[in-house]
Amino acid sequence: MLPLSIKDDEYKPPRLDLLRKLSGWVRSILADKTSRNLFFFLCLNLSFAFVELLYGIWSNSLGLISDSFHMFFDCTALLAGLAASVISKWRSNDAFSYGYVRAEVLAGFVNGLFLIFTAFFIFSEGVERALEPPDVHHERLLPVSILGFVVNLIGIFVFQHGGHGHSHGSGHEHSHSLFNGGLGHGHSHGGHGHSHNHKHGHGHTHDHGHGHSHSQDYCHDDHSLEGTAGSSKQILQGVFLHIVADTLGSIGVIISAILMQNYGLMIADPICSMLIALLIGVSVVPLLKESIGILMQRTPPSLENTLPQCYQRVQQLQGVYSLHDPHFWTLCTDVYIGTLKLLVAPDADARWILSQTHNIFTQAGVRQLYVQMDVAAM
Amino acid sequence: RWWQNRRARLLCMLALTFLFFVVEVVVSRVTASLAMLSDSFHMLSDVMALVVALVAVRFAQRTRATKKNTFGWVRAEVMGALVNAVFLTALCFTILLEAIERFTEPHEIQQPLVVIGVGVAGLIINLLGLCLFNHHGVGGHGHAHGHGHSHGGRQHPRGSSPKAEPPRAGGEAALRREETSTLVENCSSSNGVSQEKLGDMKDDVADLQVNGNAGHYSLDAEEVEEDSSAQLNMRGVFLHVFGDALGSVIVVVNALLFYSLWNPCPRDGPCMNPCVNNHCMENATLSQPLGKTNQSDQESITVAGPCWLLYLDPVLCLIMVCILLYTTYPLLRESALILLQTVPKQIDVHSLNSKLRTLEGVEAVHELHIWQLAGSRIIGTAHIKCPDPSTYMMVAKRIKEIFHDEGIHATTIQPEFASVGSESGRGKCEFPCRTQCALKQCCGTAEDNTGKKTEKSSSLSISCSEVVIEFPHNKTRRTKSESIPSVRLEANADQNEQFESSL
Repeated sequence: MLPLSIKDDEYKPPRLDLLRKLSGWVRSILADKTSRNLFFFLCLNLSFAFVELLYGIWSNSLGLISDSFHMFFDCTALLAGLAASVISKWRSNDAFSYGYVRAEVLAGFVNGLFLIFTAFFIFSEGVERALEPPDVHHERLLPVSILGFVVNLIGIFVFQHGGHGHSHGSGHEHSHSLFNGGLGHGHSHGGHGHSHNHKHGHGHTHDHGHGHSHSQDYCHDDHSLEGTAGSSKQILQGVFLHIVADTLGSIGVIISAILMQNYGLMIADPICSMLIALLIGVSVVPLLKESIGILMQRTPPSLENTLPQCYQRVQQLQGVYSLHDPHFWTLCTDVYIGTLKLLVAPDADARWILSQTHNIFTQAGVRQLYVQMDVAAM
Repeated sequence: RWWQNRRARLLCMLALTFLFFVVEVVVSRVTASLAMLSDSFHMLSDVMALVVALVAVRFAQRTRATKKNTFGWVRAEVMGALVNAVFLTALCFTILLEAIERFTEPHEIQQPLVVIGVGVAGLIINLLGLCLFNHHGVGGHGHAHGHGHSHGGRQHPRGSSPKAEPPRAGGEAALRREETSTLVENCSSSNGVSQEKLGDMKDDVADLQVNGNAGHYSLDAEEVEEDSSAQLNMRGVFLHVFGDALGSVIVVVNALLFYSLWNPCPRDGPCMNPCVNNHCMENATLSQPLGKTNQSDQESITVAGPCWLLYLDPVLCLIMVCILLYTTYPLLRESALILLQTVPKQIDVHSLNSKLRTLEGVEAVHELHIWQLAGSRIIGTAHIKCPDPSTYMMVAKRIKEIFHDEGIHATTIQPEFASVGSESGRGKCEFPCRTQCALKQCCGTAEDNTGKKTEKSSSLSISCSEVVIEFPHNKTRRTKSESIPSVRLEANADQNEQFESSL
């Protein structure tokens, strides 16, 4: 009997599988606008760093070599952001029941940490140079740093709308204008359908553990609707801050070079470095605070005002004695999850209470809710 | 025994490290050695790592729920471990860069005796730190930083152990109490011996916490009380200390070899140094730039010592960086996985799912999520679909027990009831958290059979693009209308109020 179908997967050599995975990744990178920008900027940065390195080796200038290493270091930040944007699109599986969506918060946090470390490093180098000023060849450093400055400016313009454009105000809008949230949800349903099909056709390499539920794609349904929406906010913010830090570095080098060449102020270089380090450190603080809040399972700041009202409304439902143990936290940007326990009367209508509670919190913007009902002993 | 206290150890190490940092700065000023100064900055970063760990310990002790942090601050330790792991990685890269720079432009060690002295002092401090944190270090080896950084034990206190939690008594009330108190500290209500959640080095000791069978453990040694998240934190510290110790070793070895084998150029007399590029400014003290024409002065020319010595330092640094990265990676991975809300590795979601489904009275299990808050605190949530509330009451206890068997003590189970008379609803989630606009079920419920609702109960979910309006005596009628939701909103609120007043 001839086999009716042949499972090709068994016969595929592992190398082809890897290639397919890679091509899948590249395709998913290019599909989304944010990650596409990240990818191209990463390529630009990498090539510039290589050019700088080669030039530094050829002209035997230590300053250029170390600057190129600094750029490589920045490229790792971009790479982290890119990896996070790819990873967070993977489907959920057995080990990751929520999917990988937290990756972007983590990436933003790690980027922030790297930035702080960079600032500290620059500061320490500035102090070293202040105490023992080395002889720096500025005539070689200046054109290269100007070029680097231009590259970073490109980056700033590319990522500007993604970086600071999304403030926390959007969260507030979600909670207060229920219509907006509702309509958004409505559209997201259609979006979900489309992306669902798209992903099915896309590649089965990450398609583990579908289980019984529809493929859980937590943060990206609305994402597809709103373009570069809040779900990539953390990544973009981290990358943007990195680029700003780099730009400031280039500006500092340029200014100190000018000061040193024209006015002979040798002290300008270390002072500029220290100032820049301080600036970088200060600018990173909001990003860090936000990511730490999310990672520590903090109550979402945008819900803080509405939650007590919701609690009151729930407690006024008929049959509900009390509400306790509420936990609300952010899974990723704009996706909130909540659990709470209700103490209900034995004769209360559980179904009705459940649906009302769900409504109340859906209006507040919490779409995933787990309500446990404990019956009070009579 | 004060030294058993994690915080005391950390503080001690912090004080020592900071002192050493100050010493190094002074020495560097006195001997005008730039290498020592950069070393001292590495020490400062060590101090920062220790501070991070200390802060994490302090915060994690606040397990009480606050308004903003309903879970308390227990995740602080995992965060501390991640921060330290990331710092270690960044430090590795820095050292790598410096080592590569040294390859291209090697320099001699100035005043090797001083370097040896400082290196030995740093090594002693690091060994002390190793002893302090030794038993936390299983599973991680410390990594030293070459360049003579005695990073004085990065002591990551592996999180302070959670405070005493009330023991499990039988009965449901106690069950509930324990559940709430696993997340929220309830110090005041501790009665009798406290049962600690033993976190061991491995993570699969979760079974010990099952159903109070673990017995009661006394609060003698704080090490016993450590949670596995505390261990993560302390492991990071241990990694730092070990790294520093290794680095000090490298520095001392390097300086010793240099001191004994290196043949330096004497200050007076011509000397040729073949190892170093002859940039005038860099070798002012070492050698005079010689042209190739001075072959006649051969007998007075001394050649500086074996060149390979100059490359020893970077090579050792590279080796150390490899070791460091290799051992930091597990720590990084573990803390990152916790923060990514993974299912803890000792729990098999499939088997849990099947166990829940085979219970009688349970029709379906939806939205099962299990994640680790920190250490041994695992949180689980699920929607359980049951035919009616009474069945659910019977099954609820069994469900909780299944979760407790796996070590998941903080669970929130939402019951779902199949809409009356809808066979097609079987198996589908009544409150699907993503697709609340699934065609078959919106968030409105079926008619209320107890008749409590006397007026229109339009339980609207605004999230639906279809609006379900229910009338108490009719079947649900779906109207696809996107008209004025604002009106609906008020209607909803109105009806709620009417409900209350009707009673």
